[in-house]
Amino acid sequence: MMESLRLVVVLTIICSVAGALLAVVHDVTADPIASAGTKEKGDAIMQVLPPCDNNPGEDLVKVDADGTAWTFYVARKEGRFAGAAFESVSAQGYGGDIAIMVGVNAEGTVQGVQVLAHKETPGLGAWISGDKFRGQFAGRSIADTKWAVTKDGGNIDQITAATISSRAVTEAVKAGLDIFTANTSAITGN
Amino acid sequence: MAFYKELAKGLWKENPIFRLVLGMCPALAVTTSVENSLGMGMAATFVLICSNIVISIFRNLIPAKVRIPCFIVVIATFVTIVDLLMNGFAHELHNSLGLFIPLIVVNCIILGRAEAFASRHPLWLSIADGIGMGIGFTLGLTVLGATREILGAGSITVWGDLKWTVAGYEPMILMILAPGGFIALGCLLGGMNHLQAIAAKRKGTIFTPPAHLDCRSCVMCKFGK
Repeated sequence: MMESLRLVVVLTIICSVAGALLAVVHDVTADPIASAGTKEKGDAIMQVLPPCDNNPGEDLVKVDADGTAWTFYVARKEGRFAGAAFESVSAQGYGGDIAIMVGVNAEGTVQGVQVLAHKETPGLGAWISGDKFRGQFAGRSIADTKWAVTKDGGNIDQITAATISSRAVTEAVKAGLDIFTANTSAITGN
Repeated sequence: MAFYKELAKGLWKENPIFRLVLGMCPALAVTTSVENSLGMGMAATFVLICSNIVISIFRNLIPAKVRIPCFIVVIATFVTIVDLLMNGFAHELHNSLGLFIPLIVVNCIILGRAEAFASRHPLWLSIADGIGMGIGFTLGLTVLGATREILGAGSITVWGDLKWTVAGYEPMILMILAPGGFIALGCLLGGMNHLQAIAAKRKGTIFTPPAHLDCRSCVMCKFGK
C-alpha cells in the first residue's frame, strides 16, 4: 500500500513538473509563433502577386460562395487593379489538408503559387513545394488552361509517384480560380 | 578515457542503426533524402542528449516500477519543448524539420538509451553516450538517405543549393518508397557484417556480433537463459 502510494506520488510530481515546464515554454513561444505565421502568410501573398504600391495584406475583398468565405488580397498599382491573391485548401492530400496561396494578375494569368502548409510524404509528395512543380502554374492563362493533372487529361504535369498530392494542389488552384472568374468584377472593382 | 570510449562506441561498434537496429520506424520513414536524414538526426541527437542528462540526474529517485512512464514523460516533454522553441525562434528550420519532430517521441533509441544506459550511469558518461549515439544515428541515417536518394532520385540535394546529379541514370522510384527503405537497410546491414567479417578474418578471429547486443544475453524470455 505504502509502495503504490510512493509510485503515485513520484509519477504525479514528474507529470506536474513536465506540465508546468510546457506551460511556461508555450507561454514564451505563443507570440513568436503567431507572428511568424502571420509574416509567412504575408510573404507568400507578396511572392504570388505582381509588383504593387499598396498593402495587399490589408486590401481585402471577401466573397461568399456556397457558404464558404473566400478572402482575396488585392494588389494595386497607382490605384488600378494589378492582381489578387487567395488562399485555397484541399482536403484531398495524401497526408491531410494542403493549403496554398495563389496569385493572379490583371492580364488573367496565374502569377504564382506557394504552398503554405502540407503533410505530404517527405521525398515524394513534399515536392509539391518545389520550384519544378509549382513553377508550371505561373504564366498560365486562367481561361485557356485545363486545370487538371495530365493523368486526368489536363495541362499540369503531376509529380511521378505523387499523383494524389499533385492532383490535390491542382484542384485547390482550380477551385479558387473558379471563384475568381465568377466574381471578377467584384474583386477587380471594375 | 571512459568518456571517449562511450562517445566512440555509438559511431561504429554499437551504431544505433546498423548494430543495435533501433529506431527503425523513423529510419525507414525519413531516409528518402540526405536533407531529411540530417534534419531528423540532428533533432533526435538534441533530444537524446537532453533526456540522457535528466534521466541520469534523477536515476536514483525514479522508482524501478514506474521508470518507463517517467522516461516517456521526460522525452515527450523535451520533444514538445524543441517543437515549440523551433517553431517560434527558428521558423525556417521548423518548416523543413517540423514533419519529423513528433516522430522523435516514438524513436526507441531515445527510450532505449534512457533504459539501458542513462538510468545506470553517472551524468558525464550519459552525456558522452548521448552525443555518440546521436552522431552515430545521424551518420547511419545519412548513409541510408544518400543510398536511397542516389538510386531513387538520381541526385543528391542538400538545402537547395548543393546538388549532385548522376548523369544518364534513370531513377528507380521504388528506392524512395517504403520497400526501398527495407531493401537499402538490408543491403547496408549485410555489407557492414561482411566488412566486419573480413576485418576479423585478417586478424585471425571469427566475427561475432557483441554478445550484449542480441538474444544471447537477454533475460527477458526463456531463450536468454
